[in-house]
Amino acid sequence: MLLVADSVELMADATPDEAEEPASDSASDSPDRAQFEEEALAHADQLYRIALRLSGSPQSAEELVQETYLRAFRSWRSYRPGTNLAAWLATILRNVFLDEARRQQRRPAQESFEDTTEYYLYNQLAGSSGEPQEAVLNKLAAGAIVEALADVPPAFREVVVLVDIGDFSYQEAADILGVPIGTVMSRLHRGRRALKQALAQRAGAEAS
Amino acid sequence: MTMGVDPCVGVESKLQPYLDRQLTPGEVSWIERHLGECAYCRERYHFEAKLRDTVKTVCCGDPVPDGLVDRVRLHCRGHRSE
Repeated sequence: MLLVADSVELMADATPDEAEEPASDSASDSPDRAQFEEEALAHADQLYRIALRLSGSPQSAEELVQETYLRAFRSWRSYRPGTNLAAWLATILRNVFLDEARRQQRRPAQESFEDTTEYYLYNQLAGSSGEPQEAVLNKLAAGAIVEALADVPPAFREVVVLVDIGDFSYQEAADILGVPIGTVMSRLHRGRRALKQALAQRAGAEAS
Repeated sequence: MTMGVDPCVGVESKLQPYLDRQLTPGEVSWIERHLGECAYCRERYHFEAKLRDTVKTVCCGDPVPDGLVDRVRLHCRGHRSE
């Protein structure tokens, strides 16, 4: 049984070194820092979309992004130039999100879906209306797809969000989450299966 | 390269890593050869690819709020002068 709490523990090792700058430091004091800030801010849209899918609301997403940049700018010296800045920022974003979840003491959701065939959704859509499956997929409302993703248990959802929406590779996701690449692959596998189950439920609800 | 006794089962198990471009060149050419020959797998492959694409399009389609970067700058500046 996999809990979000597991990944919270695992994350501890992967946290970027947040050695903070003195509070009086300002971007204008350091051209390097000013340049770093501009490069980091170029990833704001990507971070916002990840934050939105993790948190589920535009307001929480914006707060997550703001807090992420606050921490990133304070610990900018721990970023190694030439490494993947988007992944470094996503790691901080995820830490902020987990801290927030911990503060609100959300109970970690347990996986409740059964393992299914890869073609679960395809098979579910086959019987329903006599239409080709792809046509049924086209008719699924955007809202239903977003809700289905939100139904995926958090520990699996975050991997799906990073890889399928954030465009991070398996290895980058492993670095961000602080887990082995095999763990990313198995969570991704189960997260996608869970998403298909949630989509099948919604497709059934819309058809009836 | 072989993918077990039933090639369709092999394709099913490798389809997600194939879509993720995580397979070796040998596995890729094995899968693509099979997809060229097998309508059953091809139809399901198209569905899985379409599903992936649809989820991504929908979930990346949210507008990023106007002025987000400006508010981030303001937020960070406010904390810096504390």
